[in-house]
Amino acid sequence: MRDLTLDTPSGDGMRDLMHRLRRSGSASGALVMLAGLCVLFGLLAPNFLATSNLVNVALQSTILLLIALPMTLIIMTEGLDLSVGAVLTLANVVLATIAVKTGGVGLSLLSALAIGAVFGLLNGTLVARLGIPPFVATLGTLGVAQGMALVVTDGQSVVGIPESVQMLYSGALLGVPLPICIAVIAYLAFHVVLYHTRFGACVFALGGNREALSLAGVRMRWYLVAVYLISGLMAGLAALLLTARISAGHPTAALGIEFDAIAAVAVGGTSFERGKGWLLGTLIGVLAVGVLRNGLNLMGVSSAVQVAAIGFLVILALTIDALRERNV
Amino acid sequence: MTTIPPLLELRGISKSFTGVQALDDVSLQLFPGEVHMLLGENGAGKSTLMKVLCGAHTADAGEFFHKGQPVTIAGPADAQRLGIAVIFQEFTLVPYLSVAQNIFLGREPRGRLPGTVDHGLMRKQARAIMDQLGMTLDPGTAVATLGVAQQQMVEIAKALSQDARILVLDEPTAALSDNETDKLFRMIGKLKSQGVAMAYISHRMAEVFSMGERITVLRDGKKVGSRMPHETTPDELVSLMVGRKVDMSYAREFCKSPGPVALRMRGVSARSGIRGIDLEVRAGEIVGLAGLVGSGRTEVARAIFGADPVESGSIEIFGQRQSGGPAQARRLGAALIPESRKTQGLALIRSVGQNLMLASLPRLFPRGWYSPASAATLANELIERLRIATPGPDRRVGVLSGGNQQKVVIGKWLAAQSKLFVFDEPTRGIDVGAKAEIFALIDSLVKKGAAVLMISSELPEIVNVCDRTYVMREGCVAGHLTRTEMSEEAILTLGMHHA
Repeated sequence: MRDLTLDTPSGDGMRDLMHRLRRSGSASGALVMLAGLCVLFGLLAPNFLATSNLVNVALQSTILLLIALPMTLIIMTEGLDLSVGAVLTLANVVLATIAVKTGGVGLSLLSALAIGAVFGLLNGTLVARLGIPPFVATLGTLGVAQGMALVVTDGQSVVGIPESVQMLYSGALLGVPLPICIAVIAYLAFHVVLYHTRFGACVFALGGNREALSLAGVRMRWYLVAVYLISGLMAGLAALLLTARISAGHPTAALGIEFDAIAAVAVGGTSFERGKGWLLGTLIGVLAVGVLRNGLNLMGVSSAVQVAAIGFLVILALTIDALRERNV
Repeated sequence: MTTIPPLLELRGISKSFTGVQALDDVSLQLFPGEVHMLLGENGAGKSTLMKVLCGAHTADAGEFFHKGQPVTIAGPADAQRLGIAVIFQEFTLVPYLSVAQNIFLGREPRGRLPGTVDHGLMRKQARAIMDQLGMTLDPGTAVATLGVAQQQMVEIAKALSQDARILVLDEPTAALSDNETDKLFRMIGKLKSQGVAMAYISHRMAEVFSMGERITVLRDGKKVGSRMPHETTPDELVSLMVGRKVDMSYAREFCKSPGPVALRMRGVSARSGIRGIDLEVRAGEIVGLAGLVGSGRTEVARAIFGADPVESGSIEIFGQRQSGGPAQARRLGAALIPESRKTQGLALIRSVGQNLMLASLPRLFPRGWYSPASAATLANELIERLRIATPGPDRRVGVLSGGNQQKVVIGKWLAAQSKLFVFDEPTRGIDVGAKAEIFALIDSLVKKGAAVLMISSELPEIVNVCDRTYVMREGCVAGHLTRTEMSEEAILTLGMHHA
């Protein structure tokens, strides 16, 4: 368990967690589920509780966390971003291609962020300005990004990733693996943005009561675009970790990660209505998905079955929430 | 009584919407430290007046004076600048933000870093405003966890944080318990002592007399009287509210010998807010369900249809217990013609024919295969029988007039062979000519042995059309009036909230 708290930002965060748990009772289901999964795999899966494996779980969860954090904001605005997996994949192959050519991190990361920004702005504009339902708008951009990833690579993998990029996954800062450093910084940044800025208050209001926002004279469309833009940028950042991790650019590298991300957010207790959301819940949800995948891997269960298991996890979490709501 | 000039004065305000005169030459004075009570039936023009005050509607004619100076209210920004704030019945709060965040939404005190919010300062400022109102709530509490009364207080705190000096309250006690109402009244007392001027829309006689310094009654968009509380009585106010001559006549032969019981409700309570409802409707009768908006009439209809879960009591439709949802109600022969025809009663982009068969698919196509021939037969038969003005069954329902749309909804249930019809505001949004036709249609239903329960806010409709009526107040049946006892005054007296 010690290593699982690795991603929890600080003692402040833990106090916040306990406070919120007591106050709302929401997403406590996620924590119970995470603990249950740890116990289950501790008993069933060989070596699950080994420190090296738990670090591995945390490492493997970092990319998902980078995607799930902005997904939380989007879902709080009663939206959805189905395109993140495809955008992440496209950014991955472009980043890999440029890294192979230039041999460095700088330009390749910039290009990945630029791709993320373009798709984020596109999603945001379609949703906020044109009023296209997020499901459809981001389904469209999913197709565009996926198709471009295949065209750019001609369906082939990009290999020969320079050491400097690979280091980002294998390296460490003061003994803490770099991806975990990045994930912690990202989490803290989202925490500050959601809970300590006007922007954050607007995210709550976008899902909770848009009329309140417009009556308060806030340019809410601008904020809605920004939420999708952030999602795109985070997909670009995640592409860096992904490329470093798989040491390649691959046109199907992150396909379907939006499923894991939405599942993690849902397990974490963020609701698709009324702007109810909770970042710490998403962190727990990401770890739950990570533990589930890792544990099943250790037990030799195929990844197809893992998808079914995650689906089951989501249904279970939401059922618990629904039953509790009814009892209130 | 007072020589200080009014904080806000309205002179000769008029407003009309496509031919309907919603406000006609209304003048009103709001004095600092006073509560001005506004009374009127549904549709008397109170909401329009309120919307004109907050700048949501612009008056067609008339003048505003702020502390004696002429001003214009052309939009919400003008109203805000004058310090006018409206507390609507529907709150504009964000559920998962704290009380303090809601009070300062869009106007948060800035923190040290750009874009950040100084939570400490915001809480302190919220605390100060809440103290001023006597609210003991923690400003960090999430609004979602608050009850209605507390949310209302937060709305008021929000208004005051914008330096509102003129507060408009729309039936603030409608959703409050007695205890919560006391708290609200204490707060209103505090605001009075701070010189805030208030316009207070109410349906409760007791609070009109206990809280108001002045009382103004509106009817059909006109001001019909202003009184001081000590110089009037509840009876006088009620007669002012009703006032009008009965100018609509729907000649029909009233039911002399009702048939067997079609609907029987015994002690029905539901979480939606209705309590201990007892009522009966027999075949051949048109029974009214009167009461003010929000008194629970629609909730009774929804309970009959199993659309809201019933907590206790029993509902019988044609002697069979209704314990399931709308599907069971339909099987038992009940039909609901809902209030909002366009969202609940019709699929607007579908054709007349498709809408007509919606409720009778199993009967029309018992094996599950669609048959164009039987669909067309049904549609043509109903179009003819109800005299729906449409070129044919293929015309989109959305393009028909309100009256014809209503006929399609009724036709849908006729096709399903319903025998108990519940109408919720059957003439809403229908022009006068078509109204008579709808009533003739309803009359022909009961002549053929159907039973009708009719919810209406239009008192003349209830008085002229119904064989008898129930009157609701605050979720309960407040009384029952027979054909001979029925009058607008009697209904209003039962439906108003006396002490």
